[in-house]
Amino acid sequence: MREVMMLIVVLLPIFTGILLPLLSFRSKRAMWIYLEAAVCANSALVCRLLIAAPEKALTVFRFTHDLSITLRLDGPGAVFAGLVAFLWPFAMLYAFEYMEKEENPGPFFLFYTATYGVTLGVALSENILTMYFFFEMLSLVTLPLVMHTRTREAILASRAYLYYMLGGAAFAFIGMIFVLVYGTTSSFVPGGVLDMANILEKKDTLLLVYVLCFGGFSVKTAMWPFSSWLPKASVAPTPVTALLHAVAVVNTGAFAVMRVTYYSFGTGLLKGTWAQRVVMRLVVFTIVYGCSRAVKETHFKRRLAWSTVSNLSYILFGVTLMTPLGMTGALAHLVFHSFMKICSFLCAGAVMHQTDRNYVHELDGLGHRMPRVFLCFTVAALALMGVPGLCGFVSKWHLAKAAVECGEPLAYAGVAALLLSALLTAIYMIGIVVRAFFPKGDFDYSTIEDVREPGWRMLVPLFVFAALIVCFGLRSGPVIKMLEAVAFGAM
Amino acid sequence: MDALLLIPIALPVVGGAALLVSSFREGASVAGRQDSGTGGSGLTASRTAGGQEESRVGLCVYVGMVLGISVILALTLSWTGERELVLFTLLDTIPVYFRIDAVGRLFVTVVSLIWLMSALSAFVYMRHEGKEKRYFGFYLILYGILVASDFAGNLVTLYLFYELTTLASMPLVLHSGKRESVMAALKYLFYSLCGAYGGLFAIFILYRYSDTLTFAAGGTLNMAAAQGHEGILLIAVFAALLGFGAKAGMVPLHAWLPTAHPVAPSPASAVLSAIIVKSGVLAVVRVVFYIVGAEFLRGTWVQQAWMTLALLTVFMGSMLAYREQVFKKRLAYSTVSQVSYIMFGLSLLTADAFTGAMLHVAVHAVVKCGLFLTAGVFVYYFDYTRVEQLTGIGKRMPKTMWCYLLLSLALVGIPPTGGFISKWYLAEGALQSDTGVFAWLGPVVLLISALLTAGYLLPVAMKGFFPGVGAEPESRDEGDKGSGGLAAVPETETKTGASSTSEPDPIQEPALAMLLPLVILAALAVLLGIFPGSLIEYASRIATSVL
Repeated sequence: MREVMMLIVVLLPIFTGILLPLLSFRSKRAMWIYLEAAVCANSALVCRLLIAAPEKALTVFRFTHDLSITLRLDGPGAVFAGLVAFLWPFAMLYAFEYMEKEENPGPFFLFYTATYGVTLGVALSENILTMYFFFEMLSLVTLPLVMHTRTREAILASRAYLYYMLGGAAFAFIGMIFVLVYGTTSSFVPGGVLDMANILEKKDTLLLVYVLCFGGFSVKTAMWPFSSWLPKASVAPTPVTALLHAVAVVNTGAFAVMRVTYYSFGTGLLKGTWAQRVVMRLVVFTIVYGCSRAVKETHFKRRLAWSTVSNLSYILFGVTLMTPLGMTGALAHLVFHSFMKICSFLCAGAVMHQTDRNYVHELDGLGHRMPRVFLCFTVAALALMGVPGLCGFVSKWHLAKAAVECGEPLAYAGVAALLLSALLTAIYMIGIVVRAFFPKGDFDYSTIEDVREPGWRMLVPLFVFAALIVCFGLRSGPVIKMLEAVAFGAM
Repeated sequence: MDALLLIPIALPVVGGAALLVSSFREGASVAGRQDSGTGGSGLTASRTAGGQEESRVGLCVYVGMVLGISVILALTLSWTGERELVLFTLLDTIPVYFRIDAVGRLFVTVVSLIWLMSALSAFVYMRHEGKEKRYFGFYLILYGILVASDFAGNLVTLYLFYELTTLASMPLVLHSGKRESVMAALKYLFYSLCGAYGGLFAIFILYRYSDTLTFAAGGTLNMAAAQGHEGILLIAVFAALLGFGAKAGMVPLHAWLPTAHPVAPSPASAVLSAIIVKSGVLAVVRVVFYIVGAEFLRGTWVQQAWMTLALLTVFMGSMLAYREQVFKKRLAYSTVSQVSYIMFGLSLLTADAFTGAMLHVAVHAVVKCGLFLTAGVFVYYFDYTRVEQLTGIGKRMPKTMWCYLLLSLALVGIPPTGGFISKWYLAEGALQSDTGVFAWLGPVVLLISALLTAGYLLPVAMKGFFPGVGAEPESRDEGDKGSGGLAAVPETETKTGASSTSEPDPIQEPALAMLLPLVILAALAVLLGIFPGSLIEYASRIATSVL
């Protein structure tokens, strides 16, 4: 019966969301208690589930003998589900304070909560069809969130969002069909499912399909040349940008790529081929491209969004190394980047919420009025730069270690790209910190006299994430060991 | 295992952090000072009440206590036996690991000495700059970090504290908060980080091809694993040299140094120029002699390129210093040149040159700290920043100027000063080495540079003592004050004292706290040359252990 819990954690948030417009709450407060309770309960259930660790799969629905919607918990799924379950309650708490100012909180929270279930669905997918199903659902359920403010900019952004997502899904669909046709099973099996005897003469076709499929899934991670939707989508309210467009949605893309690479196509087929080199080149280019765009960008949240573009490609870089070590690095960055980026986005959101300032050049001196927020931001910025002792350094270390171990010239170029991007990260992040804490000598502090720190519901998530960034940075051993076990199981 | 080692590292860091968040001087006076800073004028500092003076003394006592205890502990711990401490595992199997060895001992002694001297001078000087709390807070933190990087026992620990050095020293550079200094600080940060990432690239590669990243004299490279991968290893070492060389102001990543050092308050410039650049030297020593091993580099293109870059920097730095008219900038260019003497000494990979390099680490630190503190005296009392303003200054501050003269002679390398000894060993090491053209080109460049050093340092002293006929420093002074950009200078009592000296040169020596460090440093610079025996022996012992 433990398997049923998997279905429950997926459905509970979705129904919580759907019930929201049907229940009439007397006050906003009651609605918030209802939502937070549901989200926390769901996270607790996920926690139970991870501890119980059911082995068996749960088939929810069967189309034909091999095509089914099936859930199962395995290593990478557990990592992703655990991460999401940890972040969601905090992001929810933050969202309550943030959304006080915004209109229409009802539909917002409907979709925001439902996304939780869908993301867990991706994490718990047993086969490629299930994953594809939840992957599509995720695009649809997050679309209203991008559109939320209903401004012209938001409508345009959501249109771009939709087009990119559908286009990506189309390519991913091609990959899925090929796996279904040439694979021995549709399930995810470590090492891949392709029937080697069957595909010998069609190897190049399959490699091409892999590249297309990689591109399709990595639209969600905003890999170049599919990256422009992400900065545009930052018109959404900050809880969405922070949790969905820095963690849930983009990580889903990286997670899906990981699945098709290690569990469907298999590294045995891909390693050392032109397909690996093509995707690695794209990824390495994106690492640098994202950072360069971030340096040029003056809008606070869009800058962070470009930074996400670059950092998600770190994860993909780890995936494309196609070694267990690379996978370890990728998983480590998947987890650690989530903390760093959600923390920096939440800081940006806190600034926007308290001061209505959206551009980097408007942040002068704010560090003196909102020291706690900017302290957390500084921690996140240093971590993103990869200062040792913070968690960003740990994941970079493992990625670079894997790349050097791999020994290919392209992998060395990847290491160089990581370091170049670290430098660019320093430029665009530290620029903000210096502005906030050390404004120009003749800065007039009276213009920011009435700026206040945000309330506890915003500060608590910030502190928790900043503290975790430091903790993981200083003591990464257990986490890395766990991820290594997961990654070596994948081979 | 020796947890005591943690104290000299943690105490200043905690003490500094406590100072930063404390309410020290946070009374009315500080609010006034900060408001004035924010208001942009910084002039209201003149309404100094007795209360402010009192709290300032409190601050100085607090800083002096924390620093004094830390210095004493650091020195006793480092000079009394071998100690090591594994703190906790940072990555994989790599711990944060401290171990005191000969090089670390030398560096920590130099750091401690300079830190005390500069702090003493800063107690007076920082009145003029304000925001003492922030300055001394970061100053203390930086001391802890530097001690930690001197004690570091493996490359990752060193890298950790190397990055922290950059981050903690940045606030010293941007202290005045003017646009110019903020830009300089950012430039400093980006160059240093760029360098650090070059170093990190090397660490990634070295981790793969060496037995361990724990320092061992002679290197830990795993020759069997490295077989066939020499190309990438050499590229990695070169990246580390360029990268860590950035902090030491070596071409091509040197441009930050003449920008960042002069804009900092003078005591901060003193420690930046004397100590922070040496952390680049330390990192290079550790990578080359304690991880890679000198044998691996000997005769390779990396050694050639390293020697070329070092010599180029020596020459170029001296030339630029010679042409520079802003006093502190001239000293900064001089640092560019002098630190590359050390780099050149290291690049020769011979015992004598290594000895010379270690000696020059000590000598240059002492001398450059003294020179910048002298510059600080002139800025504090007269607002003199340009070389030509210093004409005739020797009549007013003879003791200061004598110290300056002695320090200059030491830097030029006139016997019997410390600079002579270190340069002698550098030149001898070059001549003994079998590096082809560099064996004679090196000493020639060093000599030319010494000549240029004399050319840019000594005229200041000469004109200072003998202004010549018709020299009217005061009139020029007024003009400069009008046109120069020295607007935000608080009118302290000393200022009014200075402007009243337009009558025939009364002798006006600086406050004891500023003069004392100068005298000590000048005496040391000379004494190092007269009694060099034990230091040479110490340095050559290190040299024979690593080569």
